[in-house]
Amino acid sequence: MSEKMNQALAFLREKYGCPAGEIVNGNAGPELVLPDGKKIRLLPWRVERRFVELKKIIDGKTLEDVSTFRFASFSAGGDPVKTAARELDLAAYLADSPIRRIFAVRSGDAACNILARFANGMSASVECGSKLPAGADPMDRHEIIARRGVASDRTVDTQVPQSSIYEWTDKGLTTFTDVDTELFGLPNDQIWIVRAAFAVLMKAELGPVWNQAAADMEKYAAAIVKSDADNKPVTL
Amino acid sequence: MKPVKIAMMGMTHGHTRKYYQTLIENRKLDWVASCAADERAKEVYELYKTGVPCYLDPEKMLAEHPDIEAIVLASANEKHFEEMKFCAERGIHILSMKIPTFDMDEYDKMIEMVDKAGIVCQIELEMHYNPVVKRLQQEIASGKLGKLLSIQATNITLSPVWAFPWQGSPEASYGKRVPLAPGDKRFRGGALCDHPHIFDLIRWLTGSDYDTVFAQVAPNLRKELEVEDMIMAAGKLKDGTAFLFDPSWSRLEERLKVPAPGWEVFPKRMEVNLTITGEKGMIQCDCFGPNVYHNGAPNDRYTVQYTYFDEWVGLIDEFVDCIRNHKQPKINLKWHRQTIACMNACYTSVESGVPAKI
Repeated sequence: MSEKMNQALAFLREKYGCPAGEIVNGNAGPELVLPDGKKIRLLPWRVERRFVELKKIIDGKTLEDVSTFRFASFSAGGDPVKTAARELDLAAYLADSPIRRIFAVRSGDAACNILARFANGMSASVECGSKLPAGADPMDRHEIIARRGVASDRTVDTQVPQSSIYEWTDKGLTTFTDVDTELFGLPNDQIWIVRAAFAVLMKAELGPVWNQAAADMEKYAAAIVKSDADNKPVTL
Repeated sequence: MKPVKIAMMGMTHGHTRKYYQTLIENRKLDWVASCAADERAKEVYELYKTGVPCYLDPEKMLAEHPDIEAIVLASANEKHFEEMKFCAERGIHILSMKIPTFDMDEYDKMIEMVDKAGIVCQIELEMHYNPVVKRLQQEIASGKLGKLLSIQATNITLSPVWAFPWQGSPEASYGKRVPLAPGDKRFRGGALCDHPHIFDLIRWLTGSDYDTVFAQVAPNLRKELEVEDMIMAAGKLKDGTAFLFDPSWSRLEERLKVPAPGWEVFPKRMEVNLTITGEKGMIQCDCFGPNVYHNGAPNDRYTVQYTYFDEWVGLIDEFVDCIRNHKQPKINLKWHRQTIACMNACYTSVESGVPAKI
């Protein structure tokens, strides 16, 4: 898996002339190893195009005075606490503000519900679960509610993600959603990892920012567990 | 079956107009009169041309129509106690709007009055009669999902305060003026008070009751309001089911004085969606979808036009059945008490910053 991603990264590096680096599987997720041995934690969701656009919508003031982030992420297996920590990082990134308070309610390893407050006064809810059946595509939703406008990665009046292509044959329904011309053919989750590595190589100052965000995610995960165990909000 | 002679009172509640069609069409009912809270409510009522006479004095309405058997109390929350008393003293059956009162002492007096009078008092929680919810309940009851572990639910709408100003008044909506939290300039009585449905539904779907709840308000979308418009709650039921509710007014609206096409700024004016995780699988459910869509008059703005209206039909059918066959409605005052207690606990949690025990 890493080989294909590194081949794709090499293609981008050669095309755009950027320094060397290798994608590896780290303990907590994908990492970029630089020639000097430094490791950068990759945060692929921060380069995923839908989130890049949502960030632009906020930063460009298309939405004015954001009040609340409503995020949800459900998967087949996985750890809802880690998923929730990732979603909180995404919310903090979009809010451009650190998280100050987390309240979490878990249902074992199956589900995790969170209310969070940011230093800038914004609010977030995160709903996570791991009980989709094996093989099911992840289901998620990211909605940002502001005094002026609402932005979301889901169409109004729909519950599930849309695909670009729906193909019905005698083998049933097949869907396709290709998102990257340069990396066409690579699975989307791998595309975002390669793009994340590429972003760090193109902009070295992202490295320490992302490593700090990864450290914050560990804190979020610990706060989620503690809040649920104590039935109290945790101040960060 | 002899049709039930029915009336409406108040005519200031946001759901008032939703009864008109059912009251006119349902052959089990004879809608004989209405009584508006004031001239303004009467004027709005008359726009709908129901052909049913409207009074301003309930005594006069009863004098003219002494055979009234039941009244729909379509009024502000602060009016409900006196109106229920009025009905109970006269042995008139009651269909109450979704929040009888937030004052638990007053609530218990309501139970006492209704019991003493031996009348039917049904609470208007129309989601129980929604066909999608009916299917959802069947799927859960079938055991396909296994034990329920977590439920997330939205009950999000535009804010009705511009058409129904009492919903923005802490006194009229919550019953008194209680600050949300120390240092917060807002008061209890906003979006939470408008959206009891998901608090009720989860009890029905799980068969369990609330244990603890934590609630958090966000910055208001509407600066002018002195009540909350963005609020969320998370907690656990007694059977361990985790929940997260969003009962916000998170969809912006044109500030119309009378609800009409073009009310929406956000394309979808209302959503009740549930995500349910069980030991064996998951369900996502949109109780009001799919729908039809247009970008026509009056604002040429992309808009979701709803296709589901069965709630009021089923609700009234049950009410009539309970009156004629001396049954207790599913959603009666005693059943609904726990839901109101949890909503009050949400406000307690917002004020204290810690979870509240119910």
